[in-house]
Amino acid sequence: MLSARSCRQGDGLRIEKLRVQYPRREAPALDGVDETIEQGELVVLAGPSGCGKSTLCRTLAGFVPDVIPADVQGGAWLDGMPLLGRDPSDISPFLGYVQQDPDAQICTLNVWQEVAFGPENLCVPAQEVESRVHVALSEVGILHLAERSTTALSGGEMQRLAIASILAMGPAWIFLDEPTANLDPDGAEMIFHVLGQLRRREGRTVTVVEHRLAPLVQYSPRVMVLDRGHVVERRHIRSHYDLAEMRLRAGWPQARSKAGQRLCSPGDPPLIDVMEIGFGYGGRPLFQNLSFSIRRGEVIAVIGPNGCGKTTLLRLIADLDAPQGGRIKREESLRLGFVSQHPHHQIFERTIRREYAIDGVRDESKLNRLLSESRLDGLADASPLSLSMGEQRRLTVSTALSRRPDLLLLDEPFIGQDRANVIWVLSQIREAAERGAGIVLVSHDVELVASIADRVLYLGDDVPCGSPDSVFAHLSEQGRHAYTPGYWEDRQ
Amino acid sequence: MTHLEIGQVTPRSGPVGNLLLLAGCVAAVLVAPGIGVKLAVLLLILAVARAFTGSILIFARKLRFVAVFSLVLFVSQALSIHIGRVVLWGSITDQGLVSGAEMALRFLVILSSSMLFVVLTDPDELTHVLIRAGIPYRFGFVLSLALRFVPFFSQELSRVREAQRLRGIVFSYRRPSEVRRAIYYTFVPVLVSGLVRVDAVTMSMKGRAFGTDKRRTWSRPLRWTGADTLFLVLSATLAVVSLLARRFQWA
Repeated sequence: MLSARSCRQGDGLRIEKLRVQYPRREAPALDGVDETIEQGELVVLAGPSGCGKSTLCRTLAGFVPDVIPADVQGGAWLDGMPLLGRDPSDISPFLGYVQQDPDAQICTLNVWQEVAFGPENLCVPAQEVESRVHVALSEVGILHLAERSTTALSGGEMQRLAIASILAMGPAWIFLDEPTANLDPDGAEMIFHVLGQLRRREGRTVTVVEHRLAPLVQYSPRVMVLDRGHVVERRHIRSHYDLAEMRLRAGWPQARSKAGQRLCSPGDPPLIDVMEIGFGYGGRPLFQNLSFSIRRGEVIAVIGPNGCGKTTLLRLIADLDAPQGGRIKREESLRLGFVSQHPHHQIFERTIRREYAIDGVRDESKLNRLLSESRLDGLADASPLSLSMGEQRRLTVSTALSRRPDLLLLDEPFIGQDRANVIWVLSQIREAAERGAGIVLVSHDVELVASIADRVLYLGDDVPCGSPDSVFAHLSEQGRHAYTPGYWEDRQ
Repeated sequence: MTHLEIGQVTPRSGPVGNLLLLAGCVAAVLVAPGIGVKLAVLLLILAVARAFTGSILIFARKLRFVAVFSLVLFVSQALSIHIGRVVLWGSITDQGLVSGAEMALRFLVILSSSMLFVVLTDPDELTHVLIRAGIPYRFGFVLSLALRFVPFFSQELSRVREAQRLRGIVFSYRRPSEVRRAIYYTFVPVLVSGLVRVDAVTMSMKGRAFGTDKRRTWSRPLRWTGADTLFLVLSATLAVVSLLARRFQWA
C-alpha cells in the first residue's frame, strides 16, 4: 500500500515513451506517448474511436495491464510516484478513474453505501467515512439522494454518483471517460459544471475524454488530440474561435449540413399513425394522448430528458410493448429495421458473412458491396465480436438497412461514436430516407438532430412536434436552452 | 427482483431477522403435515410482503411463474395418484387432490419465502453478517454482488429475445440444429453483455481499493430492529405450530 509520502506535491503527471500493445492486435494502442500534465489543469482527450484515449486513462489508473492484459512499456509518474506496474487499488487514493457507463460501475444498491464503499475498503475510520461521503455527495450536488436506491436514479444522477464515489477516495487527480455520453443536454450541462467546480474550487486536476468540446470551452481546457496511439495535437482552447480553427486544421467536417431532397409529401398515407397513445410504468405516466404520424422519406427525431420515454416510444412503434391507451396503426406488411443502443444485443453469428445471411444477404457481390459501404472490407469471415464498437455500430446499421426496411428505428446511434462514424450513420439515414423509408431517430445530440431531421418531437412536460426550427424556438421560449442547437457556442 | 426494487420499504428488517423468517417458513412446510399450516404460512408471507414492500401486486406478479408451475404440480399429482375415494371425473381421488395441494403449496412457500428474503435483504448488510460469521470479505461481497446481477441477466435476456424478434429470427425447436442455434443466438449476446459488465464492475471495485485489506470499515453498524424481533417471534411460533401439527397430525 502506498502512503501519501510516496507522492511529491507539484511534480504533476509525467508520461514518457508510453507504449501499450494489446494481445492479438497488429498496431499498438499507444505508441511513444510523451506528455506532462500540470497540477490543477483541465485536459480534454479527443480523437477518433480506437485512438487510445481510454487506454491512456486505464493505463495510468493501473487497469492496464492489471485487469486488461497488455504489454506496457515506458514510464509514468504522478508527483514522482511511479504508476506503471502498480495495483489499481494502490493508485486509487491518488488518481481516480470514472468509467463511461455509470450504471455498469455501481457495486451496491444504495447511494450512501456506494460512495462509502471506497473509503471503507481503505479501512478509513467510520466517522471519517461519514464525513467523506457527505462532502463527496455535496460536491456533485446529490446529497439529497443519499438514502435513495441506486436503481432509482436517472442517468445524470448515476453519473454524478460515479464521480462522487471516486471523490470520496480523496484523489487529487481525476480521469473521466466520456462522462456525458449517455446524458440529456441538461444532465450533460450539470456534469460539465461539476467538472469546472472540481478544478476551480477544489483545485483538482481533471482529465476528461470527450467528443463534445464546445461545452468545455468556458473552462479554457488544454486539448490533447490522439490518433492511432500518438498525440498529434496539443492546444489551449480559450474561445470557440480556437476550437473552430483546430477542427478546421484537423479536417473535421462541419456538423450542420442540409438534408437531401425527400420523397415525403403531405398527401402520402402514413406508414405509422400514432393515435392518442398513453404509456407509463408503475402508475407514473410517461406520456398521454400522444399523436403523430410517420410518412415515407421522412426523418423524425425524438428528443427529451433522460427517462422521458424516448426508447419506450420506439418499443411501442416496434410493437414490443402495447400502448396503455389509444392505438398505433401500421401499414400492412411493414418491414421494420431496428438499431439498438448497444450493438452487442443485435449480433448473433460467429462471422460477419453469417450475420448478413440472417437478413437474407447470401449473394457474394451484394455482401461485398455492403461491406465496402460500411467500411468493413475484407472482414466477411471475421467474428463480429472482434470488431471495435464503431465497427459493430456500422455492422448493425448496415444489416438493418440490408432488409430494405420501410421503417427504420434508431435508438441513440451516435453514443460513443467518433466524428467519422457519426457522419457515416447520418449518410445512411439520408440514403434510407431518399429511398423512401420512414425514419425515427432517438438522440440527445441536438446539433445532429438539427442537421438531419424533418420533424422533431420533444417528449417532456409538453410535447411539441413540428419542424426543427419551430420546436427549437418553442423550447427556447420555455427556457430549455440546452435543447437548442448552438447553445454552447452562444453561451460564450 | 432485488432488495428495494419493489417499492417503498416501510419498516426495515435486517438480514438475520429475514433469515430467521425464511428458515421458519421453510421448516414449517417441511415439518407440518396436511395443507392447513402450509396455507397459513403462504398467507403469512403475502402479509409480510404487503407490510414490508408496500405493494403486494408487484410481488404477486413476480410469483406468476412459480404459481403456474405449482398449478402444474398440483394437476399432475392429482392425475397420477389413484389411491382414496374417487371425487371427480371418475379417476381423481381425494388423496390425489390433497397430495397435489400439499406439494404445490410446499413448492410455492419455499420459492415465495426465498423471494421475500431477496427482496427484504440489503446485500451490503448480508455481506456484513456473512463476514461476521467468518466468511472472508472477498467471498462475502461476491455473493452479495451476485444478487445484484440476477435482474441484470434477466433484463439482458429479454433485450436479446426482442432483438431476435425484430430481425425476424424464429426458432422451430424441432431439429437439434435449431435448438443449438437458439442457444447460440441467445446465450452468446447475453454472455458478452455479462462479460462487459463484469469487466466494468471489476475495474470499479479495484478502483475503489476492494481487496486491498482483508478487513474493511463498516461505517453503518448492523442494528437489531423491531421488525427483526417480530420475525424472530414469527419464526419461533411457526416452529412450535409445525411441531404440534406433526405431533397431533393436523390436516
